[in-house]
Order: sequence, then C-alpha cells, then structure tokens
Amino acid sequence: MAGLPRRIIKETQRLMAEPVPGISASPDESNARYFHVLVQGPKDSPYEGGMFKLELFLPEEYPMSAPKVRFMTKIYHPNIDKLGRICLDILKDKWSPALQIRTVLLSIQALLSAPNPDDPLANDVAEKWKVDEKAAIEEARNWTRKYASAQ
Amino acid sequence: MGNCFKTPSTDDISLLRGNESQEGSDQSLGPPPPYQERVPVFHPSPNVSRPANQLSEEEQIKIAKRLGLISHLPSGVYDGSSKKGKECAICMCDFVLGEGLRFLPCMHTYHKTCIDDWLMRSFTCPSCMEPVDAALLTTYETN
Repeated sequence: MAGLPRRIIKETQRLMAEPVPGISASPDESNARYFHVLVQGPKDSPYEGGMFKLELFLPEEYPMSAPKVRFMTKIYHPNIDKLGRICLDILKDKWSPALQIRTVLLSIQALLSAPNPDDPLANDVAEKWKVDEKAAIEEARNWTRKYASAQ
Repeated sequence: MGNCFKTPSTDDISLLRGNESQEGSDQSLGPPPPYQERVPVFHPSPNVSRPANQLSEEEQIKIAKRLGLISHLPSGVYDGSSKKGKECAICMCDFVLGEGLRFLPCMHTYHKTCIDDWLMRSFTCPSCMEPVDAALLTTYETN
C-alpha cells in the first residue's frame, strides 16, 4: 500500500490503543483502508445481546469524503435496508472531515438505540414501526436472536 | 460560453505547420504527443468531482466566488502559541512552526491546505459545522 495518509495510520493506532466500548474495528491484513467492524447491540434496545458485523471502507478522498459503511449482519431497523446500507446524515450530506471512524461508529451505535422511522430507508420496516411499534420491536428482537446472537 | 479554465489546444501546432516548407521534413514533427496535461479537479458540491474543463458555467461561477471568499479569510503562520489548539482536526497532525494556517471566523484553526480543500467542497467549519459565510457576516455586524 503506497502512501497511506498519516491520518489513517493515526486513527488506526488510536482505535487499537483506546477502543470504543461495545465496538471493535480492525483493519484488513491486505487493505489498510478496509475495516472489519463489530458493534454490540446497545443495552435497552431490541438489539441488546446481538453482535453486528459491519464493513467500513475509507475512500481515496477520505477525510474529504465520508467512509462507506454497511451492515453485514441482517438487522430489522427502519434506517437500515436489506443490503445493510445505512441512512445516516453524517455518512451523506452532513459529513465533516473533523469526524472520524470512531465518531461514525458511535453514531451508528446510537442509531440502533434510537431508530427514526420518519426518515426511513427500509420502507416496509419503517411502516411497521409507525403502525405497530410494539410488534416491530418484537420483530427486531427476533431478528437479533436469529441472525446476530454472538456465537 | 466563457470558459475561464484554459484547456490546451492544438492551435499552436497548426501554426508551426505553416513553416514546414522552410524547415524541411514534416515527418520530424511526428504525431502530437498524447494528451497528458493534468486538469485540476473541482468539487462544485460535496461528493461531486469534475475536471475543470467539464464544469458548467454555473459551477464555474460558484467556484470562482468560493475562491474569492476563501482568499479573504485570515491566514498566517503557526508561531507556537498553543491557545488555538495544536492539532489540525483534518489531517490530525500537530502544527509545526512556520506552517501555513487558516483562521475561520468561528475561531477554529486548520492547516491552510487542509481547510481550503474542504471549503471548496462545503463552506462550513468541520468542527462546529457553522456556515463560514454566515459567521463572516455576524463578525462584520458586531464590528
């Protein structure tokens, strides 16, 4: 890998030295811009007890453009679609180069605690969330058990 | 359409051809060299990257205005005074004595090259998300 920016090296070192509670991110052996991420389902959310796998990629333009992040583990959430794509403003138009891998992953963890069905990506899930929140949360719990149970 | 971003043309080569008879063989000239000049890339909006010669007139105006605004933002050189923070939030490197800095109206400071690159994409402060032009206006009003 020629010319990995100092910033990426620094962020990686800091992530390793002071990991975020409930989140792990480690660079791929063959590509320092590709990270394997694990996010613990937050306490008191329907994702509690789950371990969610994500992939994070730092594009050539990073930090001038946002990292690309996707859920690899199936998840029932109004702002995450079937392909694992995440509807989160800081990954799109609200990106700022002062944000980091750490802050992005914290925001994703917060999104799990606070689903926002009014700004949906997975339309059927958002619909369910609005019509019958209790049933939607139960469904999210089922999916967590089925697809995200740690081992 | 007025295109301010000059692109190389082959006109000068055809002008040279006029002298061929005097110079002798035109084979020595050979085919024109492959197009290699690097055209600067601009970002008329975040997530949009376009070479200078493919910008619409509207985008060119926007970029020209933006360049003008950026050039009016105060800049200076890092003199070691730590009250403005010692690390550039964009490249995450410490400021080094003599490096060029840019001071935004919201009082955040970055390396000049780092922040100018960002301001060409979005006219906001990366740290506080304050629109730079709005902050500029309030600075003027309070003065």
